Amino acid sequence: MSVSSGSLASYAQQKRLSAQTLARWQAWGEADQHALLRLAQELQLGENHLRDFVDWLEEIVLRDGESIAAVLDQREIQRPLATKQSRNDKLKVVKDAVRKLRYPYIARLEEELRESVKALNLGRRVHITFPPAFEGDEVTFGIKVRNVKDLADSLSRLQQRIDDQSLQHLFDLLDEA
Amino acid sequence: MQQYQPKQILIERGEENAPVVLRVLERLPHVPVRIVDKDWERDAPIDQTSDTFAAGKQSLFFTRNRSRFLEHCPAGTPGLVCCNYLVVSLISNCPMDCSYCFLQEYLANNPLLKVYTNVDDLLGEVAAAVDRQPWKQFRIGTGELSDSLALDPLLGFSADIIPFFAKRKNVLLELKTKSDCIDGLLRLDSHNRNERTVVSWTITPAEISDTEEHGTASFAERIEAARRVQEAGYRIGFHLDPLIEYPDWEAGYRETIDRLFSAIDPHRVAWISLGSLRLTPTLRATVRRRFPRTRLLSGEQVRCADGKWRTFQPLRVKMYRTISTWLRQAAPTAPLYMCMETAPVWEKVFGQAPSCDKEVAHSLTAPTLGAARQSTLPATPSVAS
Repeated sequence: MSVSSGSLASYAQQKRLSAQTLARWQAWGEADQHALLRLAQELQLGENHLRDFVDWLEEIVLRDGESIAAVLDQREIQRPLATKQSRNDKLKVVKDAVRKLRYPYIARLEEELRESVKALNLGRRVHITFPPAFEGDEVTFGIKVRNVKDLADSLSRLQQRIDDQSLQHLFDLLDEA
Repeated sequence: MQQYQPKQILIERGEENAPVVLRVLERLPHVPVRIVDKDWERDAPIDQTSDTFAAGKQSLFFTRNRSRFLEHCPAGTPGLVCCNYLVVSLISNCPMDCSYCFLQEYLANNPLLKVYTNVDDLLGEVAAAVDRQPWKQFRIGTGELSDSLALDPLLGFSADIIPFFAKRKNVLLELKTKSDCIDGLLRLDSHNRNERTVVSWTITPAEISDTEEHGTASFAERIEAARRVQEAGYRIGFHLDPLIEYPDWEAGYRETIDRLFSAIDPHRVAWISLGSLRLTPTLRATVRRRFPRTRLLSGEQVRCADGKWRTFQPLRVKMYRTISTWLRQAAPTAPLYMCMETAPVWEKVFGQAPSCDKEVAHSLTAPTLGAARQSTLPATPSVAS
C-alpha cells in the first residue's frame, strides 16, 4: 500500500466513507489520489460530497483526457481554497467550479438565464422559475403582491417585456443549447 | 464479428429433443451439456462477488417459456409518445455486451442466456392476436430482450418465424440487430424475403460502437449486412438509439449518416428511429461499475420526470434537430420517429406531436413502400405532410 493509499484509508475511516467510494478513489494514480485528498481535507468532505467529486472528476477526465490532478489544479478551484472564507462557503464555490467543468452547457445556460432575468428588470415581486433540470418547456411566473396597485405595476412591466420581445429571449434560450 | 460460443449448454429436462436444441447440439458438439430440472435456477448458488451478468451470458439455457410471449413494448411509459409496438422474446439476455444496455438492470437477477424452445406457442399466440383483427396493422419485434440475429447462426430461429410473418398481410416482423448474422435470412426462399419482415440495425458512430458496443459487428460490417439484406428483398430500418452526446457528436453522426446512405437505397427504408441515451439511476451505477472507462456518463445528463437520466433537453433537442435534418436530406421518404420522448420534445423537433399513439403506429405500418411514398410522420422542421 502506498503512502497515499494509507492516507486515504485513514481519511476514509475518519469520515466513514463507503468501501465503494474508497475503492474508486484508490484506483486512481497516486498524484490524482493526493490532489483529491488535499481538497477533501481542506473542505472536510463527507461521503455524499466526496462521491459527487469522484463522479464528476472521473467523468471530466474520461471526456477531456486530462488528469484529475490537473483538473483540480485549475485556478477556479485553487483560488477559493486560499481565501479566508468559511469551510461551507469554500465548499460551495469549489463544488460549483467543478460542476461547471463537468456540465459546461448546463452551467452556461444557467448563467445566460440568470443574466436574462436580471436584464428584464421585472421588480422583486415577480419570480421566474424554470423547469427542473430544464426538462419540459413550461416556465412559471409568480407574482407576490400586497395590493392591486402592486399587481398592476408587475403586470405592466411584464406586458412591456412581452411587447419588446425580451421575454421571448428566455424561451429561446430554453429551446436549444 | 466473432461468433458466440457458450461455455456450457443447459437443457431443461424434457426439452432435449426440441428442434432448436438438436440444431445447437449439432453445431456445438464440443460444448459441455448438462440436463437440469425445471426449477434448478432457484436452488443454484449465486456468486455475488463476480460479474454475474457477464457470467450469465456464458451459459446457454434451453427452457420453455411458461408465460405470455406477446407483450406491449415496455417503452410505452405514461407521459411519453408511444408507437404501439409489440414484442415477443424467444431469447432472454444477449451474447453482446453494450455498456448502456438496459438488460444489465432488467435481467440483473436472471442473467442466464435463455432460449425458449416452444416456438410454436409463440407463433400460435401471434396468430391468435393478429388473425382475429385482420383490419388492424401490427408491428412485432423480437429484439427487446436480446439481439434478434446474433444467435441466428446457432439457433436458426429466423427460418422458423419469417415464413409465418411473410404470408400475413396485417403484421410486420422487425428483427433488430447489431450483428452481421444474415446468412439465415439470405438462405430463405425468395417468396419469404418480402416486405413483411423489416431487418433493422442500431447505428452509432464508429468511435462509439468500437468502444461501447462490445461483441457487436463493426459499423462497416453492419452497413454491408444491411446492404445485402436490402438487396435480397427485405425492408430495412435503422435505429439511431441511443444517441450519444460526446464532444465530437456532430462530426461523428454526420459521417455516420453519409456512410450509411452511400451504401443503402434510401427509398427502401421502412423507418428510422431516434432516441436519446436514457439510464435509470440503478443502470447508471451498474454501467459505472461494469465499464469504468466508459465515456457514456460524461455527457450532460439530467434526471427527467420519469426518473431516467437523459441528455439535458436543450442539447437533446439540438441533437434531434440536427440529426433528423441530415436524415431527411439523405432519406426523404423514410418515416422518422422518436422513442421514449415527451410530446413537447416532439413538438420542438418535428413541429408537432402525433395526435395519438395510433398516428405513429399507422405511419410505420403503411402497406406500400417505394420512391413515391411520403412519410406520414412529421418532417423536420414542420409537420406532417
